[in-house]
Amino acid sequence: MAKLIMVVDDEEDIRNTVRAILEREGYNVKIAVNGDDCLKKLEDNKPDLILMDIMMPGTPVRKVVSKMKDIKIIYLTVVQVSDAERLELLSRKNVVGFINKPFNVHDLVNAVRGVIG
Amino acid sequence: MKVNIKKELKENQTVLFIMPSQDYNRDVVKVVKSLKGNIGYVTLNKTFDSLKETFKKAKVKTENILFIDAISKTIKSVPDQTEGCYYVSSPGSLTEISIAIDRIIKHEFDYLIFDSLTNMLVYESKAPVAKFVSSLVNKIRGSKTKAVFYALDVKEQAALIEQSGMFVDKVIELK
Repeated sequence: MAKLIMVVDDEEDIRNTVRAILEREGYNVKIAVNGDDCLKKLEDNKPDLILMDIMMPGTPVRKVVSKMKDIKIIYLTVVQVSDAERLELLSRKNVVGFINKPFNVHDLVNAVRGVIG
Repeated sequence: MKVNIKKELKENQTVLFIMPSQDYNRDVVKVVKSLKGNIGYVTLNKTFDSLKETFKKAKVKTENILFIDAISKTIKSVPDQTEGCYYVSSPGSLTEISIAIDRIIKHEFDYLIFDSLTNMLVYESKAPVAKFVSSLVNKIRGSKTKAVFYALDVKEQAALIEQSGMFVDKVIELK
């Protein structure tokens, strides 16, 4: 059965692009428009991986992520963090990667494959 | 960047820089490097720690810069302030940002850098952001502080750029 990925981003273009890329790679993809929407949708579906934008309106991502301890997360981000902050964020058990925007298709697919196969 | 920032800020109190995405990080360093005096730096997309790291690598001294960081609190736990930085809840917390900027203006900083209007639009719609810019520019006009606003050159935000451009003294496209 195809793995399920949830793409959480407030930008429609990004959501649609990432969904198209991942579906082409054979993944099932659900989308959420922000952290609150993501938490709501998790009640019905538990994805194998979440791709989450760091910078979104609504509940801060820090708080959203703290509520989903057993789901792997890759951050999609334009936010610039220091090397130390990156390590600190990755030290959270379920945060498994960063993809900087703008990203290329290979980086995205490789990052996803590296986590869920 | 071919613009003479010093000259532009000598002639204009408020300037909006429209920056191409590909040169953005490089231009951010160049602007700070060119300014002499106390700087208040509002960041909506780079954490205080990452800016310190970037400026250190570029050999830019930060002792004269007071940062207002509106992004760190969204991704990690930080206090309300540390040495050299006030932390604000999020780029959408216009009131908090405004209060923090008031301190910079009150203490007669030489420059205020606002990085950037583009990121504010992630959290707020065009109307409140434009109102925020208008109000901020008015406050600056009553002070000795000079302000530099950044906006990324993106089609989707052309309307805000155009509107904000009416409030500031000069709009400069960094191409």
